[in-house]
Amino acid sequence: MSPNTTRNRLFLVASLALVALLVSAACNDDKKTPSATSTPAATNTPAASGTPPDVSGVPELQDGKLTIGSDIAYAPLEFFQPGTETADGLDVDLAKAIGEYLGIEIEFVNAGFDGLIAALNTDEYDAIMSAMTINDERSQQVDFVPYLNVGTGILVEAGNPNDIQGLEDLCGLTVAVQVGTIQETMVRTQSDACTDAIDVVVFDTNPLAVEDLKTGGADANLADYPVAYLDAQESDGALEVLSAQLEPEPYGIAVRKTSTELNAVLTQAIAALQADGTYDQVLAKWNLDSAALP
Amino acid sequence: MEPALALQYDFHTVREFLFHPIIIRALRETMIIATLAMGVGIVLGVVLGVMRVSRNPVANGVAGLYVWFWRATPVILQLLLLYFGLRQMIENDLFRDNWTRFRVAVIGFGLNEAAYMAEIVRAGIGSVESGQMDAAKSLGMTNLQALRRVILPQALRIMVPPTGNEFIAMLKNTSVAFAIGVTELLNAAKIQAARSFNYMELYTVAAFWYLVVVSAFSLLQAELERMLSAGERERPETLLSRAMSVMGGRRGV
Repeated sequence: MSPNTTRNRLFLVASLALVALLVSAACNDDKKTPSATSTPAATNTPAASGTPPDVSGVPELQDGKLTIGSDIAYAPLEFFQPGTETADGLDVDLAKAIGEYLGIEIEFVNAGFDGLIAALNTDEYDAIMSAMTINDERSQQVDFVPYLNVGTGILVEAGNPNDIQGLEDLCGLTVAVQVGTIQETMVRTQSDACTDAIDVVVFDTNPLAVEDLKTGGADANLADYPVAYLDAQESDGALEVLSAQLEPEPYGIAVRKTSTELNAVLTQAIAALQADGTYDQVLAKWNLDSAALP
Repeated sequence: MEPALALQYDFHTVREFLFHPIIIRALRETMIIATLAMGVGIVLGVVLGVMRVSRNPVANGVAGLYVWFWRATPVILQLLLLYFGLRQMIENDLFRDNWTRFRVAVIGFGLNEAAYMAEIVRAGIGSVESGQMDAAKSLGMTNLQALRRVILPQALRIMVPPTGNEFIAMLKNTSVAFAIGVTELLNAAKIQAARSFNYMELYTVAAFWYLVVVSAFSLLQAELERMLSAGERERPETLLSRAMSVMGGRRGV
């Protein structure tokens, strides 16, 4: 065999191996591992009263499953139980209750917050439940089913060394926020009104922004109040959250604008859970009774 | 009823952001970090590369260990270790005030680059015929003199093309500095996209600037390679040299 053919063969083998590798990688990609699956029977929330709506006419629920996109790094609303890949939190519990009421499975898929809406609109999941505040920009992209009323909390170093009382006091300071959140917009809008601009530092996840505050890279972190509150509690006295909440606004379950049937069914489910007390029970479990919808 | 294939692309957004101060500032940040880090990488890389070819087992071993660590771990992990890791470990205000995300990005990318540069320098030195060293020494030069005056200048010609590749890779890789809160080109675009939901448009803006910067640098690199080929029988033409000669500029002999 001439060296040339040997080389050709080697090349052939190498290319085949590469192709095989790519194909297997592509296949694996299709099988997105669900981060949390719950069958209706697996949950122990009490069943809601009233006749559940017929979901057979809802295109997204034909497979008996509601797939929900979520940035699962936002305790206590959604987070992985430490050392596991099991999603937990208020959003997860509420979704399970909805699933039980409608007789469908719930599956949470973990994804970056800033890409959730784009992914929903390209059919990656059926809905978003990710502590997402309803605002105008988002409402132009998707429809919302309101389910919780939550404001923004300002998290600072214990003792509040910069004496921050409200948004105006952030001028000239460094503030860490998560990309794509209403808090990012809030801080940038405030910065434009400052004589001394705010140094807005943006991270992919909120825990990184909190870490930046903890290690002195930033002077404050803005996040949804329950999240900031829990971060302060779990910081061993290193951080504190200002008592005043900024602009309480409702969270919504986001669905595509074309998903009118799903929207109606979810709205009905939330109302039924409110009526039979399940809603209050879930909120109470996470100490968020005060965030109930009016 | 919408057509089956409705393409949505908002040219207005592209025009709005192409020269937007936010994007230009981020582009500047990208170029500054990449250039400074490359400087760190080249200086440290030459030292490590020389250590790698030295017969001193300590120097050789230390350099080998360095290259092993910085090449075997992802650069994003290195940045996280250097920034959050060290800041958490060292609770000192003086340290924390000076250990800024920008400096960590420059140092982190620089230390990482040094490992790759060390390998390029090692290969460059190895490519120079061993007889050259003997000849230089027979003229009375010391090891270091021979290295500096005879070996390295020749090795340089071998080292420039891969070093240019490294710089181009570096320009693009600075985007991972987002992990420690540095907003460079890609992430400035990403942040704007997250606010306006115009992903395709803002990614186009970022792609445009990467293409511009890398193309400009490639022209410079080709010119540098042409200049370094002094003494070769024929200097290859580059796009830039040809353009200059067309415009009436004189070509070097």
